[in-house]
Amino acid sequence: MADTILVVVEQRQGKLNRVSWETLVAAQGIAAETGWPVQAAVVGNEVANIAGEIAAKKLNKVFALQSPRLEPYTPDAFIHALKQFIQTQKPKLVLMPHTYQVRDFAPRLATALERVLVSDGVGYKKEGEKLIFIRQMFQGKFVADVSFNCEPPWFVTFQNGAFRGDKVEAGSATAPVETVTADVPEGVVRNHPHETFKEAKQAVDLTQAEIIVAVGRGIKEQKNIEIAKQLAEALGGEIAASRPICDSGWLPMDRQIGSSGQTVAPKLYLALGISGAIQHIVGMKGARTIIAINKDSEAPIFEIADYAVVGNLFDIVPPLIEEIKKAKG
Amino acid sequence: MLIFRQPLPDISRPQMEADIVIVGGGPAGLACALRLSQLIDEYNARNPPTPLSKENIYVLEKARELGQHCLSGALLDPRSMRELLPGFENEAPIDATVSKEAVYFLTGNSKIKFPLTPPPLRDHGNYVISLNRFVKWLGGKVEAAGITVFTGFAGSELLVENDRVIGIRTDDKGVDKHNRPKANFDPGYDLKAKVVVLAEGSRGSLTKQLIGRFQLDRDRNPQTYGQGVKELWEMPAGRIAPGEIIYTMGWPLTSKEYGGAWIYGGKDNVVSLGFVTGLDYPDPRLDPHRVLQEFKRHPLVSKLLEGGKMMRYGAKSLPYGGWWAIPPVAGNGWMILGDSAGFLNSQRLKGIHLAIKSGMLAAETAFDSMLKDDYSEAALQHYMERVERSWIKEELWKARNFHQGFEQGLWHGLLHAGLQQITGGRGLHAKYASHSGHRRLRKLADLPADGGVRAHLLGNAKGDGKLTFDKLTDLYHSGTKHEEDQPAHLVIHDTNICNTRCVQEYGNPCQHFCPANVYEMVESGDTPMGKQISLNPSNCVHCKTCDIMDPYEIITWVPPEGGGGPNYDGM
Repeated sequence: MADTILVVVEQRQGKLNRVSWETLVAAQGIAAETGWPVQAAVVGNEVANIAGEIAAKKLNKVFALQSPRLEPYTPDAFIHALKQFIQTQKPKLVLMPHTYQVRDFAPRLATALERVLVSDGVGYKKEGEKLIFIRQMFQGKFVADVSFNCEPPWFVTFQNGAFRGDKVEAGSATAPVETVTADVPEGVVRNHPHETFKEAKQAVDLTQAEIIVAVGRGIKEQKNIEIAKQLAEALGGEIAASRPICDSGWLPMDRQIGSSGQTVAPKLYLALGISGAIQHIVGMKGARTIIAINKDSEAPIFEIADYAVVGNLFDIVPPLIEEIKKAKG
Repeated sequence: MLIFRQPLPDISRPQMEADIVIVGGGPAGLACALRLSQLIDEYNARNPPTPLSKENIYVLEKARELGQHCLSGALLDPRSMRELLPGFENEAPIDATVSKEAVYFLTGNSKIKFPLTPPPLRDHGNYVISLNRFVKWLGGKVEAAGITVFTGFAGSELLVENDRVIGIRTDDKGVDKHNRPKANFDPGYDLKAKVVVLAEGSRGSLTKQLIGRFQLDRDRNPQTYGQGVKELWEMPAGRIAPGEIIYTMGWPLTSKEYGGAWIYGGKDNVVSLGFVTGLDYPDPRLDPHRVLQEFKRHPLVSKLLEGGKMMRYGAKSLPYGGWWAIPPVAGNGWMILGDSAGFLNSQRLKGIHLAIKSGMLAAETAFDSMLKDDYSEAALQHYMERVERSWIKEELWKARNFHQGFEQGLWHGLLHAGLQQITGGRGLHAKYASHSGHRRLRKLADLPADGGVRAHLLGNAKGDGKLTFDKLTDLYHSGTKHEEDQPAHLVIHDTNICNTRCVQEYGNPCQHFCPANVYEMVESGDTPMGKQISLNPSNCVHCKTCDIMDPYEIITWVPPEGGGGPNYDGM
């Protein structure tokens, strides 16, 4: 059988996790260099809609791997179904987004097939005949090149923000969708998930936000958070903060960006009054465009900002909000 | 509003019975566990019908993994390890054997090499090690010997009944910022033990409770401390040989601060360098982290480091007080080991070998107690007798007056040290007195506003990002992580003192002596001086300096939720 790339996309309750597009972009890129065809698998129960959505992209085939036991998600059912499926399909390379769900099952899946997993990759390259994956080590301080030294299937997960999901290539024709019924016998699933909940109230997944307005200590007082909120609203983005703000309780902890908070890679990151200590930078350096507003022209945030605005944010932000509102009509 | 960690009242806690509980999985605690296991194995081989069990001997370690909170230069004097595990060199992780040494006295831009290495600093035959890797290795031995090590568990309270220590309580897990149980709340265990062995390292938090409760510091010199700040650098090949070591005295410190630097060449072009500043300096604005940064700007060091890359950072305190500051080390249900007791030779800048030896001697005592089922004060005090008869006493006795000699500054100190060298450690007095370091802090009103001759040591370092670093950047390289949603474990008993008195009298030295940016004074409209104390507890590297150096003695360091803290991998 020819070498193929299998992308396991992620859905939850019938909704595609948009980070899956990034993994497809990675797969299309690898395909362009290797000539290996790309296939995708959607795992769940009644996932035809999502399979259809994926099939519009440039790939060879989409599998809807289905079973009532695959909904809701359990690691046992996923591992059982995917193991069988991968043993049948024999892909060369299995790519997955590095989501919480994938982190939960992927190591066990790889182990069940007696393979290793290259987790949290940020890129790939081809050197001669060798396919190399790039992954970060030591909290992003180093990057390491790794390659597989074993028989396929090779398992790789890619970090959120490693590829641009909007660059996914559409197909010239819709790819065929094949429904595969997974055989998940009774007794396989030992976990019984209860209703999902988020511990923090109004928890927000900042990793999914395309625009983030983040505030730092330069905001001075809790009441000033309001103008940042207005800016976020005007831009249609989410509000976030550096550690001191969340630590003071001015914003909930799930809004914290940085080494002790979330790692994000939005299209636009607006840093208001954030000095840019390394602890914050590691959480947002993957943003595509960074605009920083800070009084201190020597603030380290300016070293990574695409647009640096030296000035008082209280002078700059209110007219900015007005202009954005005008521009948006 | 700052809310501080406190044991949750009125909750039922799981109880566990143990024979021996060792708090702290560093060199002392692990050596104690391993020696105990050896003695039990030997005994059981001789007495098969009545074997002793190791099942109820536990080591608790607050780090997520063994060794993660262990930091030192480090040079290992192999004496005690050769006693504990003859031939250990064949399998222990050792970077290099010391082959070349030099001592310099530095001035602002030049250096004077000591023609002879002073005897206490002669290190030929000692080993350059990473204490982190060494402890991981030693911990593997302990676990393989069948002793249970609980990592991620801190000893948070001593359990005392009728003047007898009957056990310890582990940390409550899953407590939120407001001291309320979270969904994942898991109460601390009450671990009842026949003997509690405290091997917590420098300024142990349970040791402090014990010393306070039984006034163990009576008739002793107060313990004094230094703060060591360390960076690990990767160097261009050939810059410094494995096993080459350098000590310096003098600059950037003035003659009124005690301290000095080390540079140790390890393997794979990795160099350990650091600076120990005595926590008895006069100017409250001095910043030990800044001292290291200034030190690196000296031509001797900057040339050495050029083209290198800083990889890791860490800081810890170390007890300097010596023999006269060691409290009683055994009592009713308890023993104290290693740095917690003050078994450190400040003259040789070494304590690992003494920590290991003290652990072995405590193990021998605990073993006797197991055999006789006698854990009384009288039985456990054999530990102190063993220390008195061992080479620990012999070595520390020679240095008994060393650090105290420097209380009047470097010149007096060198004079005293010279006299002590020729009088077997005595010097001018049989017992030199000492004072707690924080009492020597002077008020801002008595100091030059611009810092005078020590302006270059005051305030936090800015850093150029290549040779020198600001504190937050360095801190990032310590790998420090804590659960964020927990109460502050730096318990300030009265924050009004910070916001009103200290801000005027000392300028809040916590901002400077803390090597991890835990303490900050932020602008505030609510306090008379316009400034208010703010804490970043999740930055804490567990060095205990705040507990030691705060001039009002209002800070108590208690363990945060187990598992949190620095990650000194490779340090």
